[in-house]
Amino acid sequence: MLTIAVSKGRIYEEALPLLAEVGIEPIDDPKTCRKLILRTTRDDVQLVIIRATDVPTFVEYGAADLGIAGKDVLLEHGAESLYEPLDLNIARCRLMTAAHKNAPPPYGRIRVATKYVKIAQKYFASQGIQAEIIKLYGSMELAPLVGLADCIVDLVDTGNTLRANDLEPREHIMDISSRLVVNKAAMKMKNQAIASLLDQLEKNIAQKN
Amino acid sequence: MQRKDSWLLPEGIEEVLPDEARHLENHRAKLLALFACWGYELVDPPLIDFLDSLLTGSGHDLALQTFKLTDQLSGEMLGVRADMTPQVAKIDAHNLKQEWPTRLCYVGTILHTRGDPLEKTRSPMQIGAELYGHAGKESDEEVICLMLDMLAMTGLLDVHLDLGHVGIYRALSKQAGLSSDQESELFDVLQRKAKPELQELMAGYAIDPDCKQMLMKLVELNGGKDTLSKAKLILANADESVKQALADLDSIANTLAQRLPNLPISFDLAELRGYHYHTGIVFAAFVPTVGREIARGGRYDNIGAIFGRSRPATGFSADLKLLSALSKQQYYIPRRDMIFAPYLSDTALSEKIRELRAQHKTVVQQLPGQVGSAQQLGCTAILEQVNEQWVVKPVA
Repeated sequence: MLTIAVSKGRIYEEALPLLAEVGIEPIDDPKTCRKLILRTTRDDVQLVIIRATDVPTFVEYGAADLGIAGKDVLLEHGAESLYEPLDLNIARCRLMTAAHKNAPPPYGRIRVATKYVKIAQKYFASQGIQAEIIKLYGSMELAPLVGLADCIVDLVDTGNTLRANDLEPREHIMDISSRLVVNKAAMKMKNQAIASLLDQLEKNIAQKN
Repeated sequence: MQRKDSWLLPEGIEEVLPDEARHLENHRAKLLALFACWGYELVDPPLIDFLDSLLTGSGHDLALQTFKLTDQLSGEMLGVRADMTPQVAKIDAHNLKQEWPTRLCYVGTILHTRGDPLEKTRSPMQIGAELYGHAGKESDEEVICLMLDMLAMTGLLDVHLDLGHVGIYRALSKQAGLSSDQESELFDVLQRKAKPELQELMAGYAIDPDCKQMLMKLVELNGGKDTLSKAKLILANADESVKQALADLDSIANTLAQRLPNLPISFDLAELRGYHYHTGIVFAAFVPTVGREIARGGRYDNIGAIFGRSRPATGFSADLKLLSALSKQQYYIPRRDMIFAPYLSDTALSEKIRELRAQHKTVVQQLPGQVGSAQQLGCTAILEQVNEQWVVKPVA
């Protein structure tokens, strides 16, 4: 049995067609049913629906053999104890800094509001900027408006939320997309099943690009 | 000032309670007896040592994991052992100085500054065995077999063996002429088998296209027995040492398949566990339900050079606390049967108790005014006087 951990929302929606192509279609719909473990059309595969930030944890411990997680989540979690062999090229967006449109460029020690504490620390250090990071769990855009922070680090898709709040994207930190992650022990002990799944997915993704 | 929660232990530090301690000690004794049967002699390296000695031949990781303190006598930096393997290598190189193969084993608590990412413990009990003085694959085979015997003895079933060889990556990166920065960048990516990042990284390297191709393919070289035949094709243009490494892996796998026909074996040529330390074959044991390896080892030649003698070396280690906890799920070692004796100043009674204990029976003697009956103490038998004789009777 292979267990794949997926988070609800955009990643789930965009992963479904990829999984369907390799014969994995959930029998239950997580929107209408409250089950956390979803059976699929393949007897040997089940999906577990969890929070995006929990995907690396589940896979690390082997509670799930595979998982689908954004590169942002993996970087923030620290994923040395996972394999991440495949870029699924879904849920694409950019990780950027953003500030009020009239704000001057960063000078001296700045305050940054983000949920990506580690990534932000590393990024500003690489830019030679001393940054104090303020960890927030949501509504990052509010922070510069109320004087909580000089700028934010967040995912930017269309940029509409930024514009609606008089913010503008500044520096591009990196492109983000979802990766397939694999538990180390599962990769060894269930090698055949996992290798063939990886192979099929990789071929299908290559065809699309 | 007394902390409010003075019962609370530091993070990742644990007390071993009677039930666990019984299991742990049972396994410790059994495993050391097993090692002794294979000719591995027990050594007990010190809890603390000079920091530079402890960190010999190891990478940055061990330095980070080692608790440090200042020796008030010499002014030198000391470390609390975070891995006993270099200490045992020092014993072989400096103290024993034997010309023939030396077999040593050890068990003891080590301390880590940072908790294990999965188990969270900072005080594992390391148990292991090391074989010095033989450079061939036969000594690797011996320690792998001993590791598997150790796991079998702790009652762990469904063990899966993974084999790799760090010499392959080392030779390829040398052949490609990678700088040490590039090598560590690549190392990080290979550890995660992050193929997309690997391609990106490689695109930026100005190296021989053959080498580039071989390094890129390394992440795909994992799986069953066909991995080695694939590797022979893909790594055809590699250095001679890579071919030797593949031949050694093949031979070890064949020997193991003969001795243990039911053992599942997989290969992973991009497995770089302990890369900074190991020099050849690396191996690890996995079991279902645990997300990572439960015992690991490999070859680490010449670590003793700095202590005065360069010797080939191979060995393995595991966390005995983890093995004990895993095996407890399989079978339970009950508490010893206990006999309850009353408190009386009676020479015949004292004599009887002495006699029973000499027969390795457990006798618990009542203390005057104590609470708790024989039954409450968990005793299964009681000493009673019948016709002026003290006899053992089952608890009513």
